[in-house]
Amino acid sequence: MAETAIHAEGLTKIYGGSVAALQDLTLDVPAGDVFGFLGPNGAGKTTTVRLLTGLLAPTGGSCTVGGFSPVKKFREVHRVCGVVTDGARMYGQMTGRENLLFFARTAELPSDEAHSRSEELLKRMDLWDARDKRLREYSTGMAQRLSLARALIHRPKILLLDEPTSGLDPEAARGVNGMIADLARSEGVTVFLCTHQLRYAQDICRHYGILERGTLLGVGDLETLGRNASMHRRAVLRLKDGDELEGFDRGSDGWWRADLSSEEEMPALLKKIVGAGHDVYEARIVSPTLENVYFKYVRLARGEKET
Amino acid sequence: MKLLSDAQKAVVQKDFREMWDVPIVRNTLLIVALLLAVGLPVLFLVIVWAAPANAFHGMDRVAKLLPPEAQHYNSRQSSFYMLTNLLGPMLFLMIPLMSSCVSAVSSFVGEKERGTLVTLLLTPLGVRGIFKAKVLGCIFLSAVITAVSFVALSVSISVGDILLGLPFFLNWDWLVLVFLFAPAITVFGVVFMVLVSARSKSYNESIQTSGFLVLPIVLLFVGQFVGLFSLNARAFLIVSLAVILVDIPLWLLSARSFTAEKLLRQ
Repeated sequence: MAETAIHAEGLTKIYGGSVAALQDLTLDVPAGDVFGFLGPNGAGKTTTVRLLTGLLAPTGGSCTVGGFSPVKKFREVHRVCGVVTDGARMYGQMTGRENLLFFARTAELPSDEAHSRSEELLKRMDLWDARDKRLREYSTGMAQRLSLARALIHRPKILLLDEPTSGLDPEAARGVNGMIADLARSEGVTVFLCTHQLRYAQDICRHYGILERGTLLGVGDLETLGRNASMHRRAVLRLKDGDELEGFDRGSDGWWRADLSSEEEMPALLKKIVGAGHDVYEARIVSPTLENVYFKYVRLARGEKET
Repeated sequence: MKLLSDAQKAVVQKDFREMWDVPIVRNTLLIVALLLAVGLPVLFLVIVWAAPANAFHGMDRVAKLLPPEAQHYNSRQSSFYMLTNLLGPMLFLMIPLMSSCVSAVSSFVGEKERGTLVTLLLTPLGVRGIFKAKVLGCIFLSAVITAVSFVALSVSISVGDILLGLPFFLNWDWLVLVFLFAPAITVFGVVFMVLVSARSKSYNESIQTSGFLVLPIVLLFVGQFVGLFSLNARAFLIVSLAVILVDIPLWLLSARSFTAEKLLRQ
């Protein structure tokens, strides 16, 4: 069984005795996973990150990060994890390199290692040419990449990223997401990625948690989440005009659709349809996207009628 | 045992660099010290030295306030003696008070204002480690400024003493002032501003608040000028011990109020 990187048990945060920012969050993120924590603004993602990093004390429940409780072992948590949040800025009057060297010193890295690690990260984040520029001269995208480098300076085992692409243009956002995916692959870092950008999340995450108004609606990989929300893969076929298929639904686009319990059903299904004398022009398997699944969960949670 | 770890020293050095890089902080620290330790004493000396003898009206009445050993001084000497022993201590005490307040505001409020305090909290330094590094850094800087200012003030006053034929100014009053009162005030200024900075939203607001700290010192010396009481080494010792007694709970209170949750809430 994989080691648990992040564990939360009934984690709750209530502000001022009445405003529940997070309610009863129970979650396990295995080591090495890339976990997408999804939800709109105000869902409780930032509160979760602040609880996991010990910046806030929970009003109920408990959590561990890298095996340490942020309440009891604040410093140990920050030795094993790197954090990028929107509100955590770096020093504008220092250059990119000076910023990284400063944060390397706060993490007690030896001087040689601090220099080599800073150099490595500046190159990796494509900031090498701007290394001696003051941070205040950096673009938003460059500053965000430097924040990512700052969070990685002490080789953390766990990365907690709260909207790391917030405020970036699509190209810069793609670049940062690519780096996160690359880091997870090459360094085996556990990534806990809070985002409301579902398309990016689907590209880089392996498991997801869906949060709405402080409550965790679902957790698992895309297939599990889809199955639990009664969303299956579908066989989608285009037939000759006027043809009809029994057991299939015809969409407004003229394509015929039917649920599949697994991909393996598709060849037999096609053979059967062709064998029955139907002309199949096109056929494909369509899986529910993260966006489909996410909105299904949100609709169900809000008790809305499915459209 | 080391007072500060290398990581904490990094925070102190970074704070010093920020204070130097921000013109308003750098200029306040330098100008206050220069003005009070050199500018005003030299100006006073020039006035006393250059003014015609008949310009010292009413000095005979003022001289009655002076201690017996200074009763025989002439008008110029009496005026400069008053600067050295009555006005000088007040001006000197403003230096540790203002430098500790300004450095603490820059270190705590400045960091919060720029959004970098959260980033520091996300390092393995820990909240207590950050507090310790910042408070000790501010105390160290204020102590250095105060020490250098005292040397400069000593030179300024000594020049006046030589020119006016007065004895060397240093006495028990000054020794208590420099080695006890000034350090006590430095600690008070830093921890008081840490407490205040938790509630203030900007650098300017905090600096304005620090202005209130000057009042008790001014009142202390005004009391002496109007003849309410006489400040001597014993009085300075009592006041210094009182400030130290206030420093201890204030330090503990400001350390306790310096938590990530409170800082984020503000």
